[in-house]
Amino acid sequence: MPSQRDGNYMNVDSDSDISLLGDGDGDYHLRGKNKGKGKAVDKKKKDKGKSKAKDQAYTWEASYTRSWDTVQEDEAGSLQGAVEDWIARGRRRRLLAPAAAIRRTIIRHLILLLDLSTSMMDRDMRPTRFDLTLEYAREFITEWFDQNPLGQIGVVGMRAGIGERIGEMSGNPQDVLKSIADRHRLEPTGEPSLQNAVDMARSSMSHLPTHSSREILVIFGSLTTCDPGNIHDTLDACVKNKIRISVVALAAEMKICRELCDKTGGQFGVALNEGHFKDLLFELVPPPAQRAMTRAAGSGATNPAADLMMMGFPTRLPDTSPASLCVCHSEMKSEGFLCPRCMAKVCDVPTDCDICGLMIVSSPHLARSYHHLFPVKPYDAIGSLADTPDAGLACHACARIFPTTALTSTSTEGMSPLNRYRCPECHNDFCGDCDVFVHDVVHCCPGCGK
Amino acid sequence: MEKASHLSVILDLSPTQWHLSAQSSNQYPLSIHSFLSQLLAFLNAHIASKHENTLAVFGAFPGKSVMLYSSTDPVADDVPPADANSYSSFKVVDFTIVRSIMNEFDALGNLDEEPPCALVGALTKALCCKSISAHFHSPNAVEDPAVLPDPRILILSVSPDLSTSYIPIMNSIFSAQKLKVTIDVCKVYGPDAVFLQQAAHLTGGSYIFLERRDALLQYLTMSFLSPPALRQVLAVPKQDKIDFRAACFCHKNIVDVGFVCSVCLSSNHILFYVVKLWFTYMCTVFCQPVPVCSTCR
Repeated sequence: MPSQRDGNYMNVDSDSDISLLGDGDGDYHLRGKNKGKGKAVDKKKKDKGKSKAKDQAYTWEASYTRSWDTVQEDEAGSLQGAVEDWIARGRRRRLLAPAAAIRRTIIRHLILLLDLSTSMMDRDMRPTRFDLTLEYAREFITEWFDQNPLGQIGVVGMRAGIGERIGEMSGNPQDVLKSIADRHRLEPTGEPSLQNAVDMARSSMSHLPTHSSREILVIFGSLTTCDPGNIHDTLDACVKNKIRISVVALAAEMKICRELCDKTGGQFGVALNEGHFKDLLFELVPPPAQRAMTRAAGSGATNPAADLMMMGFPTRLPDTSPASLCVCHSEMKSEGFLCPRCMAKVCDVPTDCDICGLMIVSSPHLARSYHHLFPVKPYDAIGSLADTPDAGLACHACARIFPTTALTSTSTEGMSPLNRYRCPECHNDFCGDCDVFVHDVVHCCPGCGK
Repeated sequence: MEKASHLSVILDLSPTQWHLSAQSSNQYPLSIHSFLSQLLAFLNAHIASKHENTLAVFGAFPGKSVMLYSSTDPVADDVPPADANSYSSFKVVDFTIVRSIMNEFDALGNLDEEPPCALVGALTKALCCKSISAHFHSPNAVEDPAVLPDPRILILSVSPDLSTSYIPIMNSIFSAQKLKVTIDVCKVYGPDAVFLQQAAHLTGGSYIFLERRDALLQYLTMSFLSPPALRQVLAVPKQDKIDFRAACFCHKNIVDVGFVCSVCLSSNHILFYVVKLWFTYMCTVFCQPVPVCSTCR
């Protein structure tokens, strides 16, 4: 019945759901459609096979590791070994972190430079580079403000050859998130211009005081930049203004991007996949160690630092207090914070007082940055019970009983076969879970309280 | 139907403070014995309100912190057998807690000078405890029946604030905030504790200063027994005034306007260079040596 088949064709084309549920005719159509696709896949497969057979046509293929190749099963088919390896790697990285004193910037200013060119519509990262970037940018901003409560973020986009201000510099995470919330307003078009965008970011940070850090984070998906002038002049200006540029590239390494980062002291990275992209971004969350050189040049003498900032600690008014107008929005409100110098009422902290200009913070805001300055010392992995005096029976933190015999025969470096980790200060033992938890979340040793 | 909940209780067991609290010169003296009996009644009420409810009790003793009881641990062997007049779960809780506290007090011995209470240790232990940290270790395992939602911590404090423990206590508070743990504070004796006020405020719990200390049990059941989800309905009392001022790190004075070192180096000091408020809003006295932050030279 050819006529009916035709009818089915019509149906299938107008509504794809039917074809999935449909009868034999629908199936037939689907198969027809898939044929083309299947061919393409086959072709790709063949291509892949060929390139492998040709013993890697491109050198980058040699260094490219596939995530599924790095995970190795052991003889029993278990992934336990691979998982432990990951944990061990994390531990070692923490041990490598300098234990000595680092000076870190607490008050940060960051301009987030988003590439909004057509290359962001590529689907090599799921769902698209653009959607993924927006999603990670949101997580990044939340985490960044969590760790840098006194910092401020502004957002600039690179679209159609110009720099476009998307969000003003703001200390309120909600404001920044709102500026990139509307996906349709940010729809990628045209070519990006690195120079225009960096210049715009630079000019918006030129008025900032010297004690704060100025940073630009570029998320760059394109392989080209169309600039009106010499981008090296812009780069020199950034170096002069002590702006640190970091780039996360989604496509490949570009020489100018690498140079921007190297000359200004930022970090450069090319994202291999979605997870690596996120890692690269989140590496930039903790405040950067401050370079002694730039500061020495700044104030000359042997005493480079010690810019003291005047800050006010406000009094919070409870919900039950009599309502009055706030100075920031002129709204009638009962709750709020009183500036300690001029007694004006502001809605939210941290902020600058609108009347007297005093920086108003609450003490928890300052305290939130402390764990960068005073990290918990890394715990030592205990190899065997023989050479450890007075070993406790259970984890000092979560009170779980330690195993008495070694869990794994193979001992990885930095991992304890007994799952015991000892604090060098208070000599209490902790289990592996608590070790990670204490260093990553609590930032305070349960044994010595430091 | 409300869900089961986890409660961690932190007891501040400083012998000196409890001795002072029991003195009859107070308006409402409260000895540790009557405190414990009222507390145990509260803990029993928590267990009884839902069968799946879990409980952990931590003690902050001078210089050390101990886990006194955890409902996930296996029951100790030497618990006396149940008799006809008591509910066996209550009996296990009461017996274990009282025995552990007595053991620890006996182990203290005669100290010439009492070291400060290890409240930070107890708080971090409570956070490390599996019922709470499980949310961090496996964020996807929400369906796991052993991991209860909305864990909360109740601190029963008698000691005054310890300014040296400011940083660790703030770190614990921030991690609690991150883990979405509510911290409730009941100040049983002594002056208001600014750090704990901030803890309750930042984590969305309530801070209650006990005015009638003979009515402890009533305060506990009225304000702290209900899980956080129910509290919006119940209108639990919260504190009105929170002190957001910082203590200066050179003189430990609480200040309104201070000078903060903008860049800081990690060492054992902290960043405040503070000017005492001498006259109305006129800053005068610098602490010495003048404006050089000892931390970052």
